Amino acid sequence: MLEALSYFATSWLNPELLALTALGTFLGIYVGAIPGLSVTMAVSILISFTFSWEVNNALCLMVGIYMGGVYGGSRTAILLNIPGAPSAIATALDGYPMAQKGEAGRAIGLSTVMSVIGGFVGIIVLSVAAPTVSEFAIKFQPRDYLMLGLIGILLVGSLSGESLSKGIFAGALGVLIGTVGLDPLTAEERFTFGVVELWNGINPVAVMIGMFGIAEALNQLHHLDKTAIKQKVDKIVPSWKDIKKYLPLSLQSSSIGVVVGSLPGTGGDIAALMAYDQAKRSTKNPEVPFGKGAKEGLIAPEAANNAAVGGAYIPMLTLGIPGDAVTAVFIGALFIHGLNPGPMLLTEQPDMFWFTVGNLTLANIFVLIFGLTGIKLFAKIVEMPKGILIPLIFLLSIVGAYAINNSIADIWWMLGFGVLGYFMKQYGYQVGPVILGVILSRLIDENWRRAIMSEREDMGSLFINLFASPLSIVLFVAICLIFISQTPIWTKWLKPKLSRG
Amino acid sequence: MKKFLASTLAVLSLASTTAMAADYPSKDIQGVIQWGAGGSTDTVMRSVSPLAEKVLGEDIVLTNKTGGVGAIATKYVYSRKADGYTLLMGAENPQMYKVLGLSPIDYSDMIPISILARGTPIFVANNDAPYNNMAELIEYAKANPGKVKSGSTGKGGMTSIVMAMLQSQVKLDFTMIPYDGDGPALTALQGGAVDIMPAVLGAAIEHIRAGRMKVIGLVDVAANDLLPGVTPITDTLPGMKSYLPWGPFFGVFVKKGTPEAAVAKLSEAFHTGAESEDFKALMKKRGFTVMGTSGKEAVDFLESYRSVSSWLVYDAGFAKHSPEKFGIKRPE
Amino acid sequence: MSDHTAIPKKPGETLFGFLFLGLSLFLFWQSYEIAGFDALSSPGALPLAASGLMVISCVIALIDDFKRPAEAGQIKAFFEHILPLSVALMIGIIFLFAVLLEDVGFIITAFVFLVGTIQLLHRKGIGKSLLIAAVSLVFVYLIFRIVFVVVLPEGIIPEREIMAVIEAWFE
Repeated sequence: MLEALSYFATSWLNPELLALTALGTFLGIYVGAIPGLSVTMAVSILISFTFSWEVNNALCLMVGIYMGGVYGGSRTAILLNIPGAPSAIATALDGYPMAQKGEAGRAIGLSTVMSVIGGFVGIIVLSVAAPTVSEFAIKFQPRDYLMLGLIGILLVGSLSGESLSKGIFAGALGVLIGTVGLDPLTAEERFTFGVVELWNGINPVAVMIGMFGIAEALNQLHHLDKTAIKQKVDKIVPSWKDIKKYLPLSLQSSSIGVVVGSLPGTGGDIAALMAYDQAKRSTKNPEVPFGKGAKEGLIAPEAANNAAVGGAYIPMLTLGIPGDAVTAVFIGALFIHGLNPGPMLLTEQPDMFWFTVGNLTLANIFVLIFGLTGIKLFAKIVEMPKGILIPLIFLLSIVGAYAINNSIADIWWMLGFGVLGYFMKQYGYQVGPVILGVILSRLIDENWRRAIMSEREDMGSLFINLFASPLSIVLFVAICLIFISQTPIWTKWLKPKLSRG
Repeated sequence: MKKFLASTLAVLSLASTTAMAADYPSKDIQGVIQWGAGGSTDTVMRSVSPLAEKVLGEDIVLTNKTGGVGAIATKYVYSRKADGYTLLMGAENPQMYKVLGLSPIDYSDMIPISILARGTPIFVANNDAPYNNMAELIEYAKANPGKVKSGSTGKGGMTSIVMAMLQSQVKLDFTMIPYDGDGPALTALQGGAVDIMPAVLGAAIEHIRAGRMKVIGLVDVAANDLLPGVTPITDTLPGMKSYLPWGPFFGVFVKKGTPEAAVAKLSEAFHTGAESEDFKALMKKRGFTVMGTSGKEAVDFLESYRSVSSWLVYDAGFAKHSPEKFGIKRPE
Repeated sequence: MSDHTAIPKKPGETLFGFLFLGLSLFLFWQSYEIAGFDALSSPGALPLAASGLMVISCVIALIDDFKRPAEAGQIKAFFEHILPLSVALMIGIIFLFAVLLEDVGFIITAFVFLVGTIQLLHRKGIGKSLLIAAVSLVFVYLIFRIVFVVVLPEGIIPEREIMAVIEAWFE
């Protein structure tokens, strides 16, 4: 125990490690905030950069970037409606409307505190239940992943806005966009029209920057003459009362975040969307409706995506299996630094586990510190004259799209989807479901096919196997409940009867 | 501003043309990695590049250009100038592009700078599986057709070629479950979603050491230090000898037509990297065999890989074109 | 959803719906082309399901739309409310940016783009536009090219050579 504590405190007591963690977190916030720059990218650049360093130094910097980066995505989502990373998509849904009302500072403050709470939940679960959770996570069969994807896609119901049919259309379009390119399982071409550049598919980040960033900036051109909204910059740190009020919600969202984050194959983006959906369903009377600037809509995804960080570390540290793209790079980094990332890591290097836990905790504290300072300055960005802000948004979007994969093609996609998104918004189609579809498309596609292949194309035995394990049963029941609660039968007929009774 | 630009341009274009051949490299080199961050190719390249930089005296700026099983990066490097400032850092995949109809460019259109290392394929199985070696697997699969679920990583991938080798010796009915990479497939193996899988030793070694999966076959002609007690597959299936040793590899390439001075300098740099103790130790632990070959030796190695794999895939019936179309000879 | 049917149609909304229907049908046909209806596990299975759903939902959305009242003066209103000159112009400018980016290079295209669009939208004197453009470009270049090593298209400015020269000064 005492030994664990001393490993835990390694990065806290060594000034050099402390400084590197701080630097990493600070840089991470910007990596996360700038669309197109991803934590995965930053961490892999650091691998060659820190090649000759001590392993602990390199890890401190990287862990800081990871923690800061996941949080940082919320910044641009709130201020400019451009999620800095896919895990901040749900944050934009209510965060941006808050900024539009002059509450950017409060939104940032609240998202910071909730991110940190989520981060701590993730770390606690990692440190007390890692082996249990990883054994659970690894048991997920293709059919379970499929059902998880379907639960996610049912979120279309709550993102559709005024017309459900248009929402379903947008979601299906997103799923289809996600299938473009060489099929990852058979290398069959899908919607590539013989163009090699399309083999790689359409990057979800390019679609996201276009549909959120470009479409909104084009929309803002309608209101050029309107003066920018004065931002309230008092009371940035949320009151203790507020924190207490929203604590149950953030804990609920964090739990979703840890579990989804710990599954190999799903990460913070899906966790955030699922937490958003769950929050929307479980919040009875929000002060402000969801999608118009509800605080609950901001809290849920932010707590969930930071909790997913701790979650993603669980299979990585205990089994050597990455929980997401970033932890995959971490495994590479450990390997280059002469460690053997794998199931034996904890036996061979027991210090590694508590060092990482301590380091994550430290980085999370730095998120709180850096997150809460300079908010006034950031909130001012929204007050910039639109004639200057809009060109800058366009430039940032273009550079961001290019940076994803060093490719001009991604700029074209971003622009194309930006213009499409602009018209869709004008005609009452929401862009949220499109992004949702793009993100979940691969999860559903691959696991549907694996599930049905495992049963040798037999639908009947696939259905029977839905009751083969407790996990599958729980997921199946969840799908049924969500589906019934969202269809008109429930809202129009059953629900009023029940509440009257 | 304009004048300054114009004059700088003039000076620099003059300087760069004369400087190009003589003192290569005179600026940063771009290294294009075929696979994503965190994958084996990425890890190998990111660990060897800093060592090569020291010899070159200029930075190698690494970028990942993923997609189309590496074809996009290959095509990109091929579209650049053949001046030695754009390197392709890739794995074995391009050698199958032509027969699979993925791309008209493969490594025969490039110059190998260095084939850094080679991996050894093995068969792994879920711990609960009722077979412990290849003979038992074959017996079980014959008795239970369609019951054994095997992970695969797509047509033309390493697993498909090893499976084709096996099927060429003994016809077995497996249920193939495709995954996008050996990492996810090995995870599925541990969770019981698949029963067996051909994998690269390096990707599975840590899981084997921890006892989370078992080795049931070593696809090689000789035993391996890292797997004591595992007999090579040729003991069970002697016919496999004609294909082996065979394995996925990692290498650095430039476009054909690159000045010889640049190729020589780059080869020297990457060999120094591959020969360093650090790199060797890393590779050994991961079960890779360090090669560090270039020139004719490397070209022969590439050609042999291409001919074995292309014909296997063609005979197994999932090639789009005949290897003959591209002048690829059947291995003797 | 009852309140939705009372909202008057926006100019061009029905046409847009039909365009989407056309797109959906085209994509459904393309999905069929991938692997036909032969296997549940084929690469074309999900695309067929998704595009099928697109066709159905599109038809329902169109039927809904027919119930809603139309606005008068379609074409004029379209260019007033949906695609005003500023939006059309901006879309054109960004497309031009993307076309020129690869050949001309990032630094020049981005600078011209920023100065041009800030002039167009902000209208506060060329000096200010030049300054804002230059400062923001330096920031973008520092963050992306130097810190995160994103190699932006160089075009006609030989950046790597210039950097090698600058580095040589420091050595």
